[in-house]
Amino acid sequence: MSEPQDRPATTPRIELHFDQPHRQHQPRDVLAVRYRIEGCDGEAVRALEHSVLWYTEGKGEEDLGVHFFQRITDRTAMPPAVTTGAFTTPLPQSPLSYEGFIVKVRWCVRVRIFFASGRDFVSEHVFALGRIPPARNPTTEN
Amino acid sequence: MAVPGSNPFSTRFTQPGRITPLDAAGRPLDAGVLLARLRILGGTAAVVGPHGSGKSTLLSRLAHEIECGGERLQRLRLRSWRDAAPSWSAILRAGPGSVVCIDSWECMGIAARSLMRTAAIGRRCGLLVTSHKAAGMPVLVQCDTSLALLRSIVASLPGHDHWYGTLIHAADVESAYVRQRGNLRESLYELYDRFEFRARRGLGACGSGPADDDGSVGERRGIHEFADGFSYPGAPEHNLRL
Repeated sequence: MSEPQDRPATTPRIELHFDQPHRQHQPRDVLAVRYRIEGCDGEAVRALEHSVLWYTEGKGEEDLGVHFFQRITDRTAMPPAVTTGAFTTPLPQSPLSYEGFIVKVRWCVRVRIFFASGRDFVSEHVFALGRIPPARNPTTEN
Repeated sequence: MAVPGSNPFSTRFTQPGRITPLDAAGRPLDAGVLLARLRILGGTAAVVGPHGSGKSTLLSRLAHEIECGGERLQRLRLRSWRDAAPSWSAILRAGPGSVVCIDSWECMGIAARSLMRTAAIGRRCGLLVTSHKAAGMPVLVQCDTSLALLRSIVASLPGHDHWYGTLIHAADVESAYVRQRGNLRESLYELYDRFEFRARRGLGACGSGPADDDGSVGERRGIHEFADGFSYPGAPEHNLRL
């Protein structure tokens, strides 16, 4: 579960719950996610997207792959009419999450809100796929 | 295994398109003013500056603004003279009024640059490039670096309030700038390493096995909160590449 954070009142907040404790999943597990959107303050929403993706993070160019993607445009199924969402998807065998020093592989659930005003808001919630030990730290900081 | 936090100095957060272009004093550059100047220059100009001075970041923003203005635009990034072929193709495909943006213009030889500029004039399309030198092009803006600029970039990175003063200090920013001789890209890479080393030392993730699962204690907390439910205003560059 994501921790509530202090933000201006007009900034949406998305509380997301993973079915697995500690956000730890294994390849071929079924990922089940529930989320709640707060703080839209009645602002009209044009579309809502939720997705599951992996990306690389480090000093090199970013790579990214989308595993699951759903876009909701039905006004009766998104805020302000409905402020909760849920989905399930089977996870693939790879790439596994990895915490390297120069590059990391991350999996996340991303919820994106497109407001009628044109602005949009993205919330990412990281989870781990697999259990690869993190890389060793260099011995000195330089 | 725990999911440690993101490194705010990774290219994910610092690459062109992810940070706001700033001037040497650390103030946001006005894309509207620059585009007006580009029109005055006839639609062809160069963003000039040394390595790691924010040329590509500015080009990315200007390209985005041009696209938002409804103009047709093609973006290219050259890595060597061998990439000249796609540049030619882009200019030959470009129609009147469209704009071709080329990053690292100097990768092409003098003759190729001259011919390409002539072709762009012939096609009546704009040509906006980044280069270390003006190289015969009108200069749209000269990008310069400063410690104030690096400080402003660092202050704009995600989770700044969580890690500044604990994992990264003002002295780290200053020493990175000095050691990298004003190259902002390399300075950010150095800060990436520093952040990573200190965060992992704090996390206890030194390769001795899986880190613990708690994610809410001690030094970990600030970093974990940063990654856990990380949110940001949307931007075109954040669109999923489907």
